[in-house]
Amino acid sequence: MPSTKFSRGEIMRKILILIIMSLFSFVSIGNADVNFAGKTVTWVVPFKEGGGTSRFARFIQPFLKKYLPGNPDVQIMHIPGGGAIKGSNYFEKNAKADGTFIFGCSTSVIVNVATGNPLVKYNLSEYRPVVLLPQNTHWFTRSDLAEPHDLSKIKERKLVLYALKTPASADLFHIWIYEKLGIKGAKPIPGLSSSGGYQAFLRGEIHLSSHGAANYVKKVKPEIEKGKVVDLMTLGIIGADGSVSRNPLAPNAPTFPEMYEKVNGKKLEGDDLEAYYAIGAAWSQASKAMMLPADASDEIVKAYRDAAIKMTNDPEFKAKAVKALGPFPLIIGEEAGEIIKKAAVFSDTTKKQLNAALKKHKFTYRVQ
Amino acid sequence: MEQLLAALFQLFEPTHLAFLFAGTLLGLIVGILPGMGGTSGLALVLPFVFTMEPSHALAMMIGVLAPTTTSDTFPAVLMGVPGTAGSQATVMDGFPLSKKGMAARALSAAFSASLLGGIFGAFILSISIYYAIPIIMAFGFGEQFLLVVLALLMVGALTGDNLFKGIASCFLGLIIGSIGTAPITGDPRYTFNTLYLLEGVPLVVVGLGLFAIPEIVGLLDAKGSIAKSLNTKKGWFTGLKDVVKNWFLVLRCSTLGCLVGALPGLGGTVVDWIAYSHLKQTTKDTSQFGKGDIRGVIAPESANNAKEGGALIPTLIFGIPGSGNKVLLLGGFVLIGIEPGLDMVTTNLDLTYLMIWSLAIANILGAGICMGFSSQISKFTLVPYYILAPVMVCLIFFATFNINRDWYDFIGLLSFGILGITFKNFGWSRPALLIGFFLSSKVELLSYQTQAVYGLSFLSRPVSIILIILCLATIVLLTKQKFDNNYRSDLIKGKLTQIYYIVILLCLPLSMIWFTSSLDYRANLFPISLSVIALSLLVFILIIKIADLKNLPFLNNTLMKFARSNIFEISGNFNNQLFYYLSFIGFLLMNFIFGFPIAAALFINMFILFHNRKAYVSSICISAVLMLILWSLSSLLTLQFPNGLIGLLIDLPWWLGGQLN
Repeated sequence: MPSTKFSRGEIMRKILILIIMSLFSFVSIGNADVNFAGKTVTWVVPFKEGGGTSRFARFIQPFLKKYLPGNPDVQIMHIPGGGAIKGSNYFEKNAKADGTFIFGCSTSVIVNVATGNPLVKYNLSEYRPVVLLPQNTHWFTRSDLAEPHDLSKIKERKLVLYALKTPASADLFHIWIYEKLGIKGAKPIPGLSSSGGYQAFLRGEIHLSSHGAANYVKKVKPEIEKGKVVDLMTLGIIGADGSVSRNPLAPNAPTFPEMYEKVNGKKLEGDDLEAYYAIGAAWSQASKAMMLPADASDEIVKAYRDAAIKMTNDPEFKAKAVKALGPFPLIIGEEAGEIIKKAAVFSDTTKKQLNAALKKHKFTYRVQ
Repeated sequence: MEQLLAALFQLFEPTHLAFLFAGTLLGLIVGILPGMGGTSGLALVLPFVFTMEPSHALAMMIGVLAPTTTSDTFPAVLMGVPGTAGSQATVMDGFPLSKKGMAARALSAAFSASLLGGIFGAFILSISIYYAIPIIMAFGFGEQFLLVVLALLMVGALTGDNLFKGIASCFLGLIIGSIGTAPITGDPRYTFNTLYLLEGVPLVVVGLGLFAIPEIVGLLDAKGSIAKSLNTKKGWFTGLKDVVKNWFLVLRCSTLGCLVGALPGLGGTVVDWIAYSHLKQTTKDTSQFGKGDIRGVIAPESANNAKEGGALIPTLIFGIPGSGNKVLLLGGFVLIGIEPGLDMVTTNLDLTYLMIWSLAIANILGAGICMGFSSQISKFTLVPYYILAPVMVCLIFFATFNINRDWYDFIGLLSFGILGITFKNFGWSRPALLIGFFLSSKVELLSYQTQAVYGLSFLSRPVSIILIILCLATIVLLTKQKFDNNYRSDLIKGKLTQIYYIVILLCLPLSMIWFTSSLDYRANLFPISLSVIALSLLVFILIIKIADLKNLPFLNNTLMKFARSNIFEISGNFNNQLFYYLSFIGFLLMNFIFGFPIAAALFINMFILFHNRKAYVSSICISAVLMLILWSLSSLLTLQFPNGLIGLLIDLPWWLGGQLN
């Protein structure tokens, strides 16, 4: 039956053509999809204007327009309120997955999730991060209270006051850090922002203080040069493989794991190390982030990541980035997703540790 | 030096000047509208400075703030109605002068005195900034705590018509300010499990509700066009000569204004009266005062503008506002990421200088415009209020929506609106409420911080002792001046309403105690102590009121007379005002159904036609112009209109209230 054979061959050929065509069309649709020409990208920032996340978004905004396919307009939409929960929930509810909505995330947005705030309705750990901007924390004290890089005198004091904005924020980690370093006199003074706390520190009212990298360079460095303030330690920079290196801004200051080892006589490991990684991811590595919604396609994520990589090679970006964003290189790619997962989902043992520290200082607030 | 130059360069950047100029114009306009002052003006601007560059936003805010005390002279002189609280004393001699046909002389004297005072204030501010660092370093938690508490007491004591009602207003403000997340423990207080109240009531909502709405309603109640006739043509040169002749008086009153302005908490609601009484005490021939003495215009005007510079000192270095408009200025600082304190005189010194010089330039601009275009500007006072009012209401609603793009803000606005109307009518203090509201969290935190660092020993630190003495002396001196008036209780009608009103006020502290009593003690100690104090004050006032109503004899000794003075107060027709207030609620409902653009056009036309059937041409034109302005504003700043139920059902374009994207 040649006729049937023939027809079968014809069918096979047609199927083949169809498959090839559909493959092509799939690829070409994929390309056509990621073109934002004439569109407007809305960047939801769940904070007020002028804050760190807003400044981060404003700095990136022109580069994003320049390098995204089709050069879309990028508008920043500030939705402050409810400790960043309002804007984050808004994004979860309203963001379209077609790449026209991006999210400006920060440590507090992550901490809201990690500590199990019941008002949170956003599924952060599934979001697709494009760019992470790391930060680092510096601890320091007055030169009459301690030698540089040495906690021993501080540990002898009966009362060591430090600033704590609220236990429901990233400041919660301070309690854990001082606990693990065995500073028995440590007592938080509530309601002090980092700059208010630093003023009180300069007036001699509190004993330990800390700052992020930008303010460290601007405000603390001059005092260190005058001899009034000494470095104690930094949080340390966590690499992709989990190794911790010193902060280039204070290369002589030990990192938290180094200090931990010196004080406790054993390496940072086990539950403590796990908690440190979780805290480090939330507080340091993912300090600021730009994210796409959870259901954004791989093509869109790739288009954004490509734009981000092109941005970091832009000579104008290179010239301005250190001043505007700090000295730490941006984290772009799959690695970023892992960090967000680590930061947003605290393990039970980490939660237990944080709650124990909270309980010790008679806070009613608990990590859920 | 480097920062001085940097600030200078920024000052003369065209965009900076443009924003400063725009702000100044707006400030002039809100100053002219009687009752609307810098507070309402800033509250209107704040929701829009969001999207601006910080330095532009700063220029705009300073621009709005600076000239209100200059342009408020127009209504004070021409109509005998103070444009802002700071020009009450100007009316005393300014209005008689105007009745004698010397309005131009009074205006030009007032503007030039105002200008000199303003520049003097900016000058003093730029010098004192140099000495600020040691002052800031000397003010620890304890001193700051005292400063805030004393500031609150002073505002309460001096801005109310009655001492106790003033202080009670302050405590009610503190209680409202404690709504939201408890700073120590993170417990939600009085939030009824809503996300909206978690961060407390937004400041701009409180400001607009307390100040703008009552003034609009009050002026609608006063009816008719604002000024009857205008004669501002001749006599400009005479006024200038008067100021030159009295240069020493200008200097003295400017110094006085600056000093009083710098006292935290006092910042300006009484400064014009202080200058006026200083003038009276230092003049031999007082026979012409109150009948049209030009010095009676020069003294308060130079003082009330000089105080702006002085009042910025505590605002910038301690974050303690001296008056309602400084509260909103501080709110604006937060929006653009400026934190008052040490940074303002160290790392952010260039911004501080930018602000001071913007203040000086805005003063010059403001006074210049007032003089140059006085006859045109004074025509503003001829516009009937039923035309201005609906436009103002639309602007307020639009501004309110843009704070958080939240419908709840309208409920907040109208609630604080009715609170403001009743406060104004019944003689309670709105500035005290606003400042109490703003400083509440600061008081709470400072009390914990002081306790943790010092315990009670902070009271024996030298700066604390100086502060306490200074404050008590001021209160005693000023209350003596303020309350030796002739109160006649028998002139006031509707006393029972005011007694019931206290019962309503009592609900706030009572419910606060009820809802927070189950929380941790560190979360409820502050609101409950405040509530207890407020309760006792309110009950005391209630007793005095009832005694006054029944005319009980024990009120007649001196001490009780003091407590009794102005215990009842009424300004205007309360029922009329309620009626106008209800029309705003109607506007809100229209917004809810039609969305903002359609509702605004409808509201303006309906409101104007209700008052004047024949004015349909102007009503249509006004609503069209307003919508054009709002459309260009919103496409420029990517603001969104409130979209109503219709917008959900039909896909409307954004300019009719659809989604913005």
